[in-house]
Parts: sequence; structure tokens; C-alpha cells
Amino acid sequence: MSSAVEQRRGGYLDRPSSSSLADVVELILDKGLVIDAYIRVSIVGIEILTIDARIVIASVDTYLRFAEATNRLDLYEHGGKDLGELTESLSEGGAEGKTSGVIEGAKHKVDELMHGDDEDDEDDEDDEDDEDNEEEDEEEDEEPGDDEDDEEEEEEDERPSRSRRNRARQSSARRRSRGGDDE
Amino acid sequence: MTTSVDRMSYVFGVVAAGTRLPEIDEAGPAAALRLVEAAGLAAVVGTPPAHRSLGRAADLLTHDRVVAALVEAGTPVLPMRFGAVLQSDAAVIEDVLTARHDELRAGLARVAGRVQFTLTVRYEQQVVLRGLLAARPDIARLRGSQDAENFDQRLRLGELVVQALDEMRPADAQAVLADLPDTADLLLHKTTAPDAVLHAAVLVERQAAAAFERGVELVARRHHPRLQLRLAGPSAPYDFVGAG
Repeated sequence: MSSAVEQRRGGYLDRPSSSSLADVVELILDKGLVIDAYIRVSIVGIEILTIDARIVIASVDTYLRFAEATNRLDLYEHGGKDLGELTESLSEGGAEGKTSGVIEGAKHKVDELMHGDDEDDEDDEDDEDDEDNEEEDEEEDEEPGDDEDDEEEEEEDERPSRSRRNRARQSSARRRSRGGDDE
Repeated sequence: MTTSVDRMSYVFGVVAAGTRLPEIDEAGPAAALRLVEAAGLAAVVGTPPAHRSLGRAADLLTHDRVVAALVEAGTPVLPMRFGAVLQSDAAVIEDVLTARHDELRAGLARVAGRVQFTLTVRYEQQVVLRGLLAARPDIARLRGSQDAENFDQRLRLGELVVQALDEMRPADAQAVLADLPDTADLLLHKTTAPDAVLHAAVLVERQAAAAFERGVELVARRHHPRLQLRLAGPSAPYDFVGAG
């Protein structure tokens, strides 16, 4: 995020010179004076999209920071084993594993948010067929035999939005890969 | 001229009556930006697009832009949570400005002349990870012997690192808090990422804003290079308008 950062004075303090989307999400989403639901006009999309925005931005932000750290790291001299794996473990091993679990879907969702397609559900539908393959590619270390969980997950997930359901599927896939640690 | 259904009211925030509206690009919910006044209070109101839902990133940025423009002009403002849409300007007067008059007046008085800064503190990964590898042979050993094929070992390594960060976080957060120049009105948010140390909102007198910034710069220097401090603001008092 250093592109949006202006180094002033001593230069030890990051001072964002303009508000990036991530800054705005962190600063204002879910904050401010609340109007009671019964007087408010319910605008379809606000609640779901803002929740998605927070999760997506958070994970993209994390993703980019860890990628950046990996790229500039000069510590790791062993061929091939670099911080990429460490940070991957780091981001997956934390309590916020479910946040990092949506990274695969994040680019997709960011596009959706930036372009604001209300019709995006259809895209998600198309993607669903490919999803299992993607998961296999990404989780080459995963033990076989975890597919038995899938049906159960489908049933657990009675959330209204398909994109949220996809996200849940992805994060539960990630949870499985972390050794069935339920949460 | 139009029915209330056609022209709904998106509320950006509440200010004192007679406030001057900021000059702003009237995009998204900021269309037909206007002041809806009642009983000495005023709501800054726009007309949300009728043909689509709100909730795009651009709408969120517009919300922030309008509120930020008010703050920049020195106007005390109580920012609304994103997505406050009412049926009509009449509903804004009745259900917000009138119904919550006393609460809003008190809220405005509380934030008058003050701005919010938001401080986030993270561990500088390189420095902290390096320190961990030096101080913790068990972690260093796992990393040194780490086998890309062995998922369990990678998981264990990550787990140890995250646990180590969890252990050092409280003391580091406390050290930063103790150094902050102005903590009279401070609100702590829960942090979630493993390398996040602190997330705090501080309400600061507008005249003291520059001094506060310099103070935080000193804190950043003191904790360099282990901790990375990031200061956003001055902004509207988003964290200080709730019931708290």
C-alpha cells in the first residue's frame, strides 16, 4: 500500500495521502450514526455487498502485503524454500484463517465490487463447476478423501447469496486443508 | 414535483442548520446534494440512484468524500453509517432530526472542534520474523528443515509463528498506547490479522491535530523498525458517534 503513502517529516510514520478503497472500508464501514431499520428504506444489496467488501478488501490487503514481504525478502538463502511458504502458513495458521480462505475468490469479488455488477450471481454459477479443480490445484498437499464433507457443507449453508455461499465453501475447503480444525 | 418514491433521501450526516454544503461532484448518492433542516439541525442529503442498488465501492467512496469535505471545511458533522436511505426529506425531518433532536445536538457538541485520527500498528514482518528465527530454535529448526511436501510441518511452523506473535502483541500494544500523545478519547478496535498489533481511533482537538501527528511520528520512530505505524486522518468522528 506504499503507493498511497506519503512519507512526511521523519518518515517513520505512514501517512496515507489519499483514501484508498481499503482505507475507506476500514475507516467507515459499519461505523457512524445508525438509523433504525424500521425507518430506513431497505435497499437491496447494501448489507450483503458491504459485508463482502470488508472481507474481500481485508483479504486482498493481506494477500498483497504478504506477497510484498515475500518479494523483498533477502533472508532466505535455501533454494526454493522462501518466506512464501512461511507467510502462507502464517496467514493460514492464524485465527483468521477464514479470511485468507477467500483469497481465491477475492479477485473475482473485487471486480464485482468495482464494477458493481448486480448480475454477478450468474458468473458465480458458471464458476462453480470449475471450483473443485481449482481447489485441487491450490492444495496439492491435501490428503485425499476429504470430499465426504461437501454435502454436509451444502446443507449447512443456507445463506441467501450465492457468492457468500461460494465463499463459505472455499473457506471450509481451506479449513479442511488446515487439518479439519473446525471453527 | 416527484413522488416520494422517486426521490428518496440518502443521508450522509447531521450538521448544524445553516451549514454550507461542500462543492462536490454529485455522483451516485450525492446527486441533488442538499441540506434538510429542522430545529437548528440539518441533514446533508442526496438522492440515491433509482435504477440500481447502492453498495458499490464508488458509492462508499462518495459517502466518504462528502463527509470528508465537510470535515475539511471545519464543519462539525455526525457521519451516518453507509446506506442510510429514507423514504423522503420529510421522513428525514420527522424520524431523524426531530425524533432524535436531543441526542444529535449532544453528539454535535461532543465532536465540535475535534477530528478523528485512526492509528493502525503492525509488526514489520522481516524484522519480527528474523527476530523470531534468532530467538526460537524450534522455529528456526522447523523452517530450516521444512519440506515443501510436508503440509503438517508447514502448518506447525505457521502455528508457532502466530502463537509467538500472539504472545508478544499485548506488551507491544501497551507500549504504543502509553507513548501516544493524546488518549483522552480513545477507542480500541479488535485486531484480527496475526501481524496486527493495534487499531485505535482517537478524537483530537482540531487545533492540536498537527501536534498529535508529530507526537505519533515520534512514537513511530521509537518503535522502528519492529513496528510499522500508520495514521489516517483527520477524518470525521466515525468511531465516536454511537451510543458509546
